[in-house]
Amino acid sequence: MSNIIEIKNLRKIYEDGVEVVALDGMDLIIEEGEFLAIVGPSGSGKSTLLNMIGLLDTPTSGEIWLKEKNITKIDPKERARLRNRELGFVFQYHHLLPEFSAVENVMMPLLIAGVDKKEARERSITFLEEMGLGDRLGNRPTQLSGGQNQRVAVARALANHPSIVIGDELTGNLDSKSSDMVYDLLRELNREMNQTFILVTHDMKMAEKTDRILRLVDGRIVCEMLREGDGFVTRDLCELEEDHT
Amino acid sequence: MFELSVAMKHIRVKKRQTILAVGAVGLAVAITIVSRSLMNGSMESFFSIFFELAPHILVTPKEGEEYIYLYKTLMETIWAIPGVIAVSPTLATTATLAYEDNVDNVALQGVISVELNKVTKLGDEYMVAGDLYAIQNGRRVVLGQKIVDKLDVKLGENVRATFPDAKPLTLVVVGIFDTGVAEWDESVFVSLDTARDFMDEGDVISSINIHLEDPYQADAVASEISALGYEAKSWRTMFPDFQEAIDIETFSNNLILILVMVIATFGIANAMNMLVLEKTKEIGMLMAMGANRSSIRRIFLFESGILGLMGGIFGCALGYLVSVYLHSQEYTVTAPTAPQPIVIQFLVDPWDLLAFTLIALVLSVAAGVYPAHNASQLDPVVALRG
Repeated sequence: MSNIIEIKNLRKIYEDGVEVVALDGMDLIIEEGEFLAIVGPSGSGKSTLLNMIGLLDTPTSGEIWLKEKNITKIDPKERARLRNRELGFVFQYHHLLPEFSAVENVMMPLLIAGVDKKEARERSITFLEEMGLGDRLGNRPTQLSGGQNQRVAVARALANHPSIVIGDELTGNLDSKSSDMVYDLLRELNREMNQTFILVTHDMKMAEKTDRILRLVDGRIVCEMLREGDGFVTRDLCELEEDHT
Repeated sequence: MFELSVAMKHIRVKKRQTILAVGAVGLAVAITIVSRSLMNGSMESFFSIFFELAPHILVTPKEGEEYIYLYKTLMETIWAIPGVIAVSPTLATTATLAYEDNVDNVALQGVISVELNKVTKLGDEYMVAGDLYAIQNGRRVVLGQKIVDKLDVKLGENVRATFPDAKPLTLVVVGIFDTGVAEWDESVFVSLDTARDFMDEGDVISSINIHLEDPYQADAVASEISALGYEAKSWRTMFPDFQEAIDIETFSNNLILILVMVIATFGIANAMNMLVLEKTKEIGMLMAMGANRSSIRRIFLFESGILGLMGGIFGCALGYLVSVYLHSQEYTVTAPTAPQPIVIQFLVDPWDLLAFTLIALVLSVAAGVYPAHNASQLDPVVALRG
């Protein structure tokens, strides 16, 4: 498998009066088709890392490589283009556009990519049907339940066939039934399409369903666990401290 | 063009905001259209009243000559100029009029009454007694009201016209006019033949008054006649203050109207600002989905532009209907110098409809620039946090 993401000595320092080190010289390789969870206490740098990988934020120093291309210092327009083509986002709050129907929301990344409106609609309908929302196409977010909205958001993240899907606490707002449903869906897509999934979560139960768990504390990876059969084995770099979660 | 569909969606779904923004711009445009139509109408009335007594162009003899000698040829040439609708020759002199013991010096003008009436409306609008056309038949005269007052003469009585070097004539008073303009009311009119007899002159005239279809063509036509060697003055040259007054009035009026529209577009700026604040998270999400900064900017520029255009079209329709209604009401005002009440006209210039729709569009887009820029400069990470 090839490396889809390579992170080299990545540092992010926020200087807003006080200096806060969000990422402290991180090295990380993510392979294509991985199903990865990032866990850790609040303020450990999980979301910052996700924003870097998601090209929403730029590092203070270090490098990020996407598909063997250094994307650390590309211009904003190219960044936007890569976000559109290579990345799909699902957030804790679905962030659907409230004026638009389910199908219109899913169409949006396709329309941004310049896909023809009719084709975008057809593709979006297919996705929503796969999510079990075939009878909810014309409903607006306010007319859907939390779980349904999150599934629309997942459909939207997947619509453009991105290489990487990023989930930031994507099931954080859902009950366990909806959360399992969304998880199963992602897992299935991961196996079928070989898409890479990177999920930030507080929820260890969720994390344990992935293949690789990274534990972040104070902007560093302190523990890495790999699936082996039904359980996990820890790598040698694991420093088992008490959990601040 | 997803930017347009996002903008249209906002406009369609946020009805209250749309109605307020479109309403504000529309009202301003409507006020502008009505005000401009009143301006156009007043100008039209003003022009027609003003030029009831004043020619658009006055032609006088060549330099060094006392009279226009070959006036028939000249008049034919003038008639051939496109846009000329009336040509009235005049032979003017000074005369002393006497009635019983009363004597007055007057401006005596020999005219062709039909032509004079085309240029001045004197025969149609200002006669208080008798008939202007009656002067064509022999030794007859119409008098201005001021002269009638001085001489204390009545219709049908004889007055005597004399002057050094002139042939004394007895003239029958066949008409009296009252224009309210002193200069005019101290004139008397006779036929061209009567004037020539009195002055003992041949077939000559001293000036030609011209009326045009479009008064604004006066300068061009005047210079065409000047090229023939005659002295030709347009109303602009004769009454320079008149044009200046119109220009100042028009300018100040337009300035106020543009300001009204600028104020109205603040409504759009405000609506856009609110929208950007309200939509912060969604802007962040659009950015995460790959919308770049110029796309985000475009969404809000489109939106303000469309609101402005809608306001413009709505305002034009409203303004047009109100103008047409007010015009149909035929409101009148009375003026001391006008013999009849003046009907207030509301005349909509079709160009105004186009121009002010475009102005509303441009101003609204300008109003959207700052909020659109703010939206485009949002940091997606911060925006998503809300």
